[in-house]
Amino acid sequence: MKYDVSVNGREGQLSVEEARFEYRGVARDYSIAASGPGIYSVLMDGRSYQATLLSPETIQVEGRIYFVDVFDPRELRARSLAGSHEGRQNIAAQMPGKVVRVLVAKGDAVEKGQGLIVVEAMKMQNEMKSPKAGVVAEVKASDGATVAAGEILVVIE
Amino acid sequence: MFRKVLIANRGEIAVRLIRGLRDLNVASVAVYSDADRSSLAVRMADEAAHLGPAPSSESYLRIDKIIDAAKRHGAEAIHPGYGFLSENAEFADAVTSAGLVFIGPPASAIHKMGIKTAAREIAIAAGAPVVPGTEAPIRSIDQAKETARALGYPVLLKAAAGGGGKGMRRVDRDEELDAAIRDASSEASRAFRNGDVYLEKLVVEPRHVEIQVLGDHHGHMIHLGERECSLQRRHQKVIEECPSPLMGLDPSLRERMGAAAVKVARAAGYANAGTVEFLVDRNRDFYFIEMNTRLQVEHPVTELVTGLDLVAWQLRIASGEHLTIQQEDVRWSGSAVECRIYAEDPANNFLPYPGKITELVEPSGPGIRLDSGVYQGWNVPYEYDPLLAKLVAWGQDRDVAVARLKRALLEYKIGGIRCNVSFFVDILNDPTFLTGHFSTAFLDGFYARKKAPPEAPELEAVAALVAAISKQKPAAAVAAPAKSKWRWS
Repeated sequence: MKYDVSVNGREGQLSVEEARFEYRGVARDYSIAASGPGIYSVLMDGRSYQATLLSPETIQVEGRIYFVDVFDPRELRARSLAGSHEGRQNIAAQMPGKVVRVLVAKGDAVEKGQGLIVVEAMKMQNEMKSPKAGVVAEVKASDGATVAAGEILVVIE
Repeated sequence: MFRKVLIANRGEIAVRLIRGLRDLNVASVAVYSDADRSSLAVRMADEAAHLGPAPSSESYLRIDKIIDAAKRHGAEAIHPGYGFLSENAEFADAVTSAGLVFIGPPASAIHKMGIKTAAREIAIAAGAPVVPGTEAPIRSIDQAKETARALGYPVLLKAAAGGGGKGMRRVDRDEELDAAIRDASSEASRAFRNGDVYLEKLVVEPRHVEIQVLGDHHGHMIHLGERECSLQRRHQKVIEECPSPLMGLDPSLRERMGAAAVKVARAAGYANAGTVEFLVDRNRDFYFIEMNTRLQVEHPVTELVTGLDLVAWQLRIASGEHLTIQQEDVRWSGSAVECRIYAEDPANNFLPYPGKITELVEPSGPGIRLDSGVYQGWNVPYEYDPLLAKLVAWGQDRDVAVARLKRALLEYKIGGIRCNVSFFVDILNDPTFLTGHFSTAFLDGFYARKKAPPEAPELEAVAALVAAISKQKPAAAVAAPAKSKWRWS
C-alpha cells in the first residue's frame, strides 16, 4: 500500500507492506503493536520506539512531535491550492477560545493585515488578520461564541 | 490545628493544598465555578462549594461568596493559594473580620508590600540594597527626564501597582521617554486600575533570584534559601531551580541574600510563608525588587531541597504554633529543577491551547515529583491561566536533576490539547542552559536563535508509519478511554 504523507509540512511517499516499509530512504523490517489507548510500540530492525497519538494527526516519538497528514493524491492538490493567498480565504481560529471582538461585518472592504476578529483564551488575546486586501464575504462567528482551533471564523474574497 | 480549611483557588494548587491538609488530617473544602465542577480538586476534596459562573470576577474573585461558603461548610480558615485573591489585603481583612483565619501574612503586610513604591521604601529602611531609582510615581516629564539622566540610561519604567511585566518599558534615550511613559501608564491603568509608573535603573543581563522566608506570629523568622527564576518567557517564569547556579560561584551569596530578605520581611511585619525577589547583576550584586506575600507556584523546588513542607508550616503557623526550626537547622541537599507545564503550543507562538485531554501518561520514577491538577478526559477550561502541572526533579547535583527531568519529560504524554513539554526538552538540551549561566533574557527568541534540530529520519519514519496504520485501521487507533478494550494493570 502506498500513501502520500506530509510530515511537519514536508511531503513524501510511504510504502507499507506486511512486515516491511519504506519512507524517504528509510527501508526497514518492522512490527507494530497497539499497547495502550493511542500508544503504539514499533520495532524497526529490532530497535524499540514508542509512538503516541496525541491527536489523529499529532504523533509524539521520543520527545519529538510530528504533525502528519496522510492523504490521497486528490487531497494533495486541494492542499497546495489552499497554501496560496489567491481567491477565497478562510480565516480559521488559531486556538480554542471565545470570540471577544468582531471587527468587521459582511461586505466590508479590508486591507491586507487588517484585524478581523479577536479570540481570547487563558487570559491571552489573538487577533486574526486578513491575509490579503479584499471584501468580507462571510462572518461565521459572533461575539461571545466559543470556537475550536481550526474553526472558520471569517471568509475574505 | 484546624479541623477544616477552605481553599479559595483552583487547578494544581488546590490539589497541592488538599494533599497538604490531608497530611495533617485536616478536612478540605474546595470551591468551584461552573467551568470547574468536574475538576480534580473538587473530586479530591472532602467537601466542595459552588461559587458562580466561569468568569473569575463572578467566582474565584468574589470575596463575599467565598467567605459565605467557608461559614456554610464550617471551615475555620481559608488558604488563598496563589493568584486570584491571594495578595488582596481587603480579602485577608474580610476573612479575619468574619471570624476566620487567613492562612498567610497579616493584611497590613500584604497591603504594604503590594504597593511597589511602599515596598521599596521599607526595603531601603531595612538596609536592603534596591535598584537605583525614584521612590515616587512620575508626576511630570521634566522630572522624569532629570531622574533618568541622573540614573544613566538605559532605564526601566514600572507600574507602581504592577506585576507580570505589565506597564513595564525599557527606555534608552531622552526622546523615547515621553511616549514610553504614556504607553506604560495606560497599560498599567488597564491592568491594575492605577496608572502610576516610576523609574529604575535597568540592570543589564540580570538574573532573577528569590529568597523563601518563613516566620511565625511570635517574632521568629528564617529563610529557606533561594530559587533561581531567570528562565522566563514574556516575564513569566517557566523553569525554576534550587540552588541557583550562582551559589557555585559565590557560596556566601545565599547567606547574604537570605539575611537581607529576612530584614525586609521583618520590617513589613511579615508572618507565614513569603518570597523576597531580587535581581542579581553581572558582579553578583543583588537588589530587592518586590515581595510576593503568598505561597509561590515554584515552592516545591525549595521543599525538595530543604526537606521542609511549606504548606504544612503555613497551616501550623496560621493556627498559632511556633516555628520550631532555627536558621542553623536549615540544610540544603542536592538540586531540584521545576518545569511549568502550560496548555500552550510552542509550534504556534505559544498560543494557549485548552480543551479536552484525550490521552495522559504521567511520568514517575526516581527523583520525580508531579504536582498536577488535571486528569485524562477532563476539559481544560479556556477561562483561566494555562498552568496544568509542575514537573519537578531532584538529584544529588544539578546534572542528575536535569537528566531525571529530561527523562520524565520524555515519559510525559498529554494528548488532545497542546502543551510546552517539547519546549522544555529543547531547553534542557541547550548547552547554555547546561552551563547554568544565563540571564532573564535567555529565553527571548530562543527558537529564532536556535538552529533547526538535527533531523531524525528514523523517528520521522516511525511517525509516518504510525499515522498511516492508525488511519487505515481506526479500530486500533486513538481509543477514547470509554471505548478502550485495554486495561491498565
